[in-house]
Amino acid sequence: MVMINKKIHTLLSFGYLLIAFNAYLFAETILIKNATIYDGNTNKPFQGNVLIDGEIIKKVSPNDMLGDFIIDASGKIVTPGLIATDTNIGIVEIGALSVTRDDTSEIYKIGFSIYDAYNPNSTLIPWNRSNGITSALTIPQNTSSPIGGLGSFFVLDGELNITGKKDMVMTGSVGGDSNHSRSEMYAVIDDLLSFAKSINQKDLSTDTNISELIGNSTIAEFMELHPRDVIALHRLVNNNLPLVMKAHRASDLLKLIEIKKKYNLNLIIMGAQEANLVKDAIAKNNIPLIINPINNIPGSFDELASNIKMASMLEKSDIELMFTAPRSHNFHLIRQGAGVAVANGMSYESAIRGLSSTPAKVFGLEKRGEIKPGNFADIIIWDDDPLEPSSMPEYVFINGKSIDLTTRSSRLRDRYTTNPEKPNTYRN
Amino acid sequence: MTNLIKYPHLSTLIIFLCFNTALSAEPFESTYKPLPSVNLLIKNANIYDGEGNEFQQTDLLIQDRKIVAIGKDLPVSDSFQIIDASGKWVTPGIIDIHSHMGVYPAPGVSTSSDGNEATSPVTADVWAEHSMWVQDPQYTLALSGGVTAFHVLPGSANLIGGRGVTVKNLQRNTINSMKFPDAPHSLKMACGENPKRVYGNRQQAPSTRMGNIAGYRKAWIEAEGYLNRLNEYESKSDEAKEMGYKPTRDLELDTLAGVLRGEILVHNHCYRADEMASMIDVAKEFGYKITAFHHGVEAYKIADLLADNGICGALWADWWGFKHEAYDMVQANIAIVDQARNGTGCAIVHSDDAIGIQHLNQEASKALAAGLRAGFQISKARAMNWITSNPAKAAGIYDQTGSLKIGKNADVVIWSKNPFSVYALAETVFIDGALAYDRTTNFYPSSDFDVGIIRPSQNRTE
Repeated sequence: MVMINKKIHTLLSFGYLLIAFNAYLFAETILIKNATIYDGNTNKPFQGNVLIDGEIIKKVSPNDMLGDFIIDASGKIVTPGLIATDTNIGIVEIGALSVTRDDTSEIYKIGFSIYDAYNPNSTLIPWNRSNGITSALTIPQNTSSPIGGLGSFFVLDGELNITGKKDMVMTGSVGGDSNHSRSEMYAVIDDLLSFAKSINQKDLSTDTNISELIGNSTIAEFMELHPRDVIALHRLVNNNLPLVMKAHRASDLLKLIEIKKKYNLNLIIMGAQEANLVKDAIAKNNIPLIINPINNIPGSFDELASNIKMASMLEKSDIELMFTAPRSHNFHLIRQGAGVAVANGMSYESAIRGLSSTPAKVFGLEKRGEIKPGNFADIIIWDDDPLEPSSMPEYVFINGKSIDLTTRSSRLRDRYTTNPEKPNTYRN
Repeated sequence: MTNLIKYPHLSTLIIFLCFNTALSAEPFESTYKPLPSVNLLIKNANIYDGEGNEFQQTDLLIQDRKIVAIGKDLPVSDSFQIIDASGKWVTPGIIDIHSHMGVYPAPGVSTSSDGNEATSPVTADVWAEHSMWVQDPQYTLALSGGVTAFHVLPGSANLIGGRGVTVKNLQRNTINSMKFPDAPHSLKMACGENPKRVYGNRQQAPSTRMGNIAGYRKAWIEAEGYLNRLNEYESKSDEAKEMGYKPTRDLELDTLAGVLRGEILVHNHCYRADEMASMIDVAKEFGYKITAFHHGVEAYKIADLLADNGICGALWADWWGFKHEAYDMVQANIAIVDQARNGTGCAIVHSDDAIGIQHLNQEASKALAAGLRAGFQISKARAMNWITSNPAKAAGIYDQTGSLKIGKNADVVIWSKNPFSVYALAETVFIDGALAYDRTTNFYPSSDFDVGIIRPSQNRTE
């Protein structure tokens, strides 16, 4: 079916056209009309229209405009596509099935990259996408080094030809551990960073040169670093590579701030369940946080100050907040977490920012996270309030393309709720 | 909609009463004492009663710890306390049928992780209540989510993991003083990946699903023999008893025989549809009843079978993918189980999680929304049953709580908004007509763990 006549379609009757008009995307513009727009940045929502031209948002305005395909979004909330910050989407299919996991390395401790393992056909992608997540940072499990492991950014279009940004963040973790004192961890971090500081770009020209560097460094030799590890370390201290450190205890958060200052790192702290105890230091040093606002459990002795009001307490200190959820299969539940944060005092607008423009800004994801002209058209039209976990997107656009919201889960649902007269294996 | 769900446990309760004297007097009896209560009129509330009904701007009267009336403009004497609940919502206390609070308390450290006696695949002799740490700081957090009672199970490492316990969500210094009076005991059984992984990794049985099924059957065969010996002894005359040999008690077989007698309710961790069907066959072979399948990510594939056998599905709204047996998630799972056989299915939203238990209303909201998207017509009032009366039935305490029926315990939550919204907060919680939690006045219990642990003069969350 080809629909090229310029007709206005209502939101509900429009669904069947989506697959048809995808073929015409690059020839036609799409106009989302009369939406309540949370652009991901400005505080207040506004009634307006969004014009998508190819991959790009061409125009955002309260004024009327023309478009080839028109979606009437009256009464609907429109937000940027949500950005996941802490996932293993694409590298872990089933948690307890090791052959489907690509998130660990026993060889590389610092320069371990998960990029080449990413599977655009993972079932986690359509599922999270149909719930509003349009792009994700995928990061490896912690390695045996307290800093190490490189995460990549992926646009969740599901295309085998991957759109993303390779190795654009380093991760790490400090805290209570049954085998290592945190003092030991900080010493290792300090030694590694001081080694990294001592490296000149020209020393990295060949693997032989790097091996020589390793041979001359006690810590590098002791940690059995490989050239890939050394290159990653060098990037961390010289290229402003974001470092996402997982830590909770108040004293650890202060220690990490000290290290950030000493080595001038681009530090982001994840977890930070005791951040409210040291919020002034976090605010003063502009440390963005990735928090799980629904987690008020004192789950370890590092997290005793866990509090359901944490997001609102941190917001009052003007700390930049992003959200995480404990399971990548349902990472979209960051919406529920954000909703709980709002129920407990956080402002709605900050919560939306934390799901969209804040991660884009903090991680340097160019032209994403905000509905504004020139950005990639990653846009969601919601059936209801996006922070209500019962809501779902009606439309998901990634790079201007309307995504089919069918998932393996919706297929299974339909298989068991329709055509009961047929044996189930002969249904859809 | 009127509640037409089968009451699968009434029969077991009746049997329980008949056989109550068969075994020696129960040790570890409840010593629960409620908090001081007042007589109370909650005025102008919107009410979901846990029986599938919704009432707008209606009064709820609580007297002598019981629900005594629901209606418009109920008259009361001056001695009643009055709460104006205009614009607010009232529900029964929320009940979680699957919790590991206390047996896996916070902080999650090895010294108090006492939920799995993973030393043998059949440990029917252990009781979760003997692991429960009464100072777990998580109970209070669940109370702030409106939870007034919960059922704690051993973990799922074992085929038969031990007895579960139902408690009032009122933190006390001994477990007996938290135990829900007259609640039946339960038995935790587990299918699938967990037992076969735990024991298979040790090169012992079971290492396969067929090993799992063989393991259950062997245990029930032993239990049958034990029960026969007990019955034979009990049927003797007093004289013959004096002369005869009394069978030696066996803790493991006491529990299993309790199931065969219908005194102990079976709660079966099981994800896959085919395994649930096999477990129903095992139950039929030995003549016991499965009260609920827990987790049941594939319950939607056999929803009619569950309804036909009067088995509840205690399920998550959306968890999936952490194990292969949890891969086929459908968000409408709970709604499909609820609607099976013309709405005679029994669906329960459970948490299995100390965060989830605080937001069971939100979990129900997700499950309801998914059900509506799948084309079912289900009211919010009916979905409220998934976290109130249905778990009460599965825990065998529906005669006492789980809905706002006249005469039941006054376990009541006042919500700031419609509880199917993420923005709704449980404002005030009553257990047996006594104020247990009040967000508006900062009235809440704290465990000993919370006292002075960060700053000596304050409690943990202050």
